[in-house]
Amino acid sequence: MSGSEHINRNRAVDWGLKLYVLLAYAFVFAPIAASFVFSFNSDRFPSIPLGDFTLDWYHAVASDPLVWEGLRNTLTVGVIVGVISTALGFGAAYTDYRYKFFGKQVYLALALLPPTIPVIILGLAMLAYLSRIDLSGNALSVIISHVVVCAPFAMAVIRLRLNQMDPALEPAAWNLGASEWQTMRHVILPFCKPAVFGALFITMAVSFDEFAVAWFVSGLNETLPVKVLGFLQGQVSPRINAIGTFVFVTSMTLVILAQLLLTGRGAKARLAAAGQE
Amino acid sequence: MERDTLVSFEGVVKRFGNFTAVQRMDFEIKKGEFLAIMGSSGCGKTTTLRMLAGLEAPTEGTIRLSGKPINHLPTWQRDTPMVWQSLALFPFLNVRENVEFALKMRGVGKAERRRRAEQWLDRMQISEFAERNIAQLSGGQRQRVALARSLVVEPEILLLDEPLSALDAALKVRMQAVLKTLQRETGITFVYVTHSQSEAFSMADRVVIMSRGVIEQIGTPQEIYRTPRTKFVADFLGSSNIFSGKVASVSEGAMEIDAPSGRMRLALPDTARRSRPVPGSTATVTVLDTRMGLSVARPADAVNVVPAKVIGEEFVGATATLYLETDHGQEIRVQMGHEALENLPVGIGQRLYAHWSPADGHLVAEV
Amino acid sequence: MRSRLSLYGLTFSLPLLVWQLLFFVFPLVFLVALSFWTVKNFTMTPDFDTVNWVTMFSRGVFWQAYGTTFALATVAAALTSALAFPCAYAIAFKLSDTARRWAVFLMVIPFFTSYLVRVYSWQIFLSDAGIVNVMLGYVGLGPYGMLNTKGATLVGYLTLAFPLVVLLQLFSLAFIDRNLIEAAHNMRCGRMRTVFEVVIPSARVGLVIAALFAFILSFGDFVSPIYLGGGDPTTLSILITDTTKSGQQWPRAAVIALTMIATLLVVAFVAVRFAYAGRASKEVGK
Repeated sequence: MSGSEHINRNRAVDWGLKLYVLLAYAFVFAPIAASFVFSFNSDRFPSIPLGDFTLDWYHAVASDPLVWEGLRNTLTVGVIVGVISTALGFGAAYTDYRYKFFGKQVYLALALLPPTIPVIILGLAMLAYLSRIDLSGNALSVIISHVVVCAPFAMAVIRLRLNQMDPALEPAAWNLGASEWQTMRHVILPFCKPAVFGALFITMAVSFDEFAVAWFVSGLNETLPVKVLGFLQGQVSPRINAIGTFVFVTSMTLVILAQLLLTGRGAKARLAAAGQE
Repeated sequence: MERDTLVSFEGVVKRFGNFTAVQRMDFEIKKGEFLAIMGSSGCGKTTTLRMLAGLEAPTEGTIRLSGKPINHLPTWQRDTPMVWQSLALFPFLNVRENVEFALKMRGVGKAERRRRAEQWLDRMQISEFAERNIAQLSGGQRQRVALARSLVVEPEILLLDEPLSALDAALKVRMQAVLKTLQRETGITFVYVTHSQSEAFSMADRVVIMSRGVIEQIGTPQEIYRTPRTKFVADFLGSSNIFSGKVASVSEGAMEIDAPSGRMRLALPDTARRSRPVPGSTATVTVLDTRMGLSVARPADAVNVVPAKVIGEEFVGATATLYLETDHGQEIRVQMGHEALENLPVGIGQRLYAHWSPADGHLVAEV
Repeated sequence: MRSRLSLYGLTFSLPLLVWQLLFFVFPLVFLVALSFWTVKNFTMTPDFDTVNWVTMFSRGVFWQAYGTTFALATVAAALTSALAFPCAYAIAFKLSDTARRWAVFLMVIPFFTSYLVRVYSWQIFLSDAGIVNVMLGYVGLGPYGMLNTKGATLVGYLTLAFPLVVLLQLFSLAFIDRNLIEAAHNMRCGRMRTVFEVVIPSARVGLVIAALFAFILSFGDFVSPIYLGGGDPTTLSILITDTTKSGQQWPRAAVIALTMIATLLVVAFVAVRFAYAGRASKEVGK
């Protein structure tokens, strides 16, 4: 599709479009980059020209026990949410892959819809419902709510992987004497392993960044993003940049890990793929 | 049931919702034979194989393996390994682990597993690839892994679902030889599903031809080729000319038919006596394209002569196939060597006379 | 035989079903019940009273917020779609395969950065002494009051929805048969006309769905209207947070939330109908 398409192209239009793409990415990444840059900037009210390089904001954040508590909450919640969401998502993805049954459309709708409901509504509904069954105001309520939102992502990731599986693989294992459970353990799970870890990291990353629902239901056990919301409500503070940069690096590490697992699958597999061609 | 029967299908029917994939099937598979099930896509051949493997349950009827009904035995409790069209090798396991898989599932110990896998890797000449990933193998090597993986449990029967369809022509012929030799040496019953006539006829001891969920004919390749039982089979094999008409007269050892292209005479073999056709009924005759002759002038001595004009020709290797059309729109194909062809004017539209001996006409059961 | 749900199958299918019923469906259903409860002396009592609905629906501020939110979300959906389309189009048709993969990867990154931090970052750009005004000052313009305006709110909505819309548009553009475009050129359909006559109709479903998502995201967002728009004019989402977090009037918040869900359902239904409208008649012709 690239350079070889010659006569029907207008160079000016092409370059104009490419420039536009650069501008679009500049718009998308401007706030991310600014947050990174200003987290090392000494001015209390960040603007240009830049002030001096400083790690003060990181110090300020690191010496705030509430931030540490928030981080601890975030990590605990994120890991648990990741594990539960991935397990539930795997089950749903496998169900969709393997079975046909009456009401499957409804099942899939339930499995995939939650992320399309505005978080603020979900937050309110969760708060009202969970406090009714005496579950609100603690980390557990955040975990419960986050799994609702995260499980669909895990399901989508794993379902895509199952799509890549030769439909004959599972019956082939049965045919070779493996029971359904054995096949799950020795064929389906190994095949889905990269996607399972990918889903784990992606759901963790989603949970790390989610603030609205957490803000509604968390009570005193605030997660880090909820803390950030608190900073925002209080006074503008470059500490947000420091936390933002930290959360960004953490999330990106998880996402890149997931990406490597989902597409790369290591140099070994790439070598194998090359041999295939 | 005969003593050398391994598998029997007794009134087996398979429906998927409103669709009947297999209708009332009765046939037997003999111990140690190479049986090919052949037909176009959707004829029920793969469903038949999958029922035997335990991947589909028959809607009606009974399937017996060594005399025992196996209808409700799940596939993992049968010893009916299958070689899949896609091969279905486990991509996350290496060659050795693939071959050991079935043994591992049966709880065979590690050392024993390794020993038996080694044996089959050796036999299939893939020992040197034992530690490789599946993705690193060529098509032919994968075939061998798939075979080793299925045969490592030393089953009585091996099911093959179009395993060669992904290979190129040259490799296909080589693998056919491998399969045939393997079957002969091991004595394992092979049930081979294919849509390819050349695969079925070159390897199988017996061929089952299916159409729309019904068995059209079972027989040796020779029988089916020379004496197709139904018009469908003759059509499907594509190497016969088919004439239909009214029976004009029946005498000892011969009969005459009035077809649109003229009166035809054919010899009646003794085997046809039992169901001797009645004058006035409809009959269908097939004549192999290799048994047809062509001439420019009307041959004086020939009994069966049909005038037709040339509509096309096709060359495959040393033989040529001429396509002609009679005045009644009936297509006639004639196969001949290049030498024979050289003496004939075969331009499009050329009028020629097709002729054949009464002994080469074959009466099929009208369906 | 193998497709019947067994103990084995239920082990995998039930957990998610139970979880989503308990913690997704029930909370939403409970929200409906809650909207009929009454609040006396700061405590809620189960009831069946339409007072919350009547109160909310008779308030001017509610309808004002509704109008503002709906209008802002509509503008955001249209603006995001219009701005994203040339970008998605260029990525789909003008970039090499490698560049396209990178473009997609980069567009995914924003999903894993904190939206809050990005909104705060926009404050740095848009405030009175912010980056944009300083830069404008260099060329002798401004300063302009950009923060706490509807424009700033829209910048926030764009931040939220733009990456998703580009990806969804890109996804639908990727499935267009390139031969269609060449065929159009071949029949003397010009470059621009081909975009409007061939590309957009072909990608119609994806484009509409992308706009729908932009609408949903903007309609429900409370961060941009507060921290970039300054909380004025009030949107429905701000109304919900205020009513819940400060007023303790959960039943009234439930009324707002349910109204929002109803609106979204109607919009989604209309959008999907619109997306597939042209298609149904075409498929009859096939």
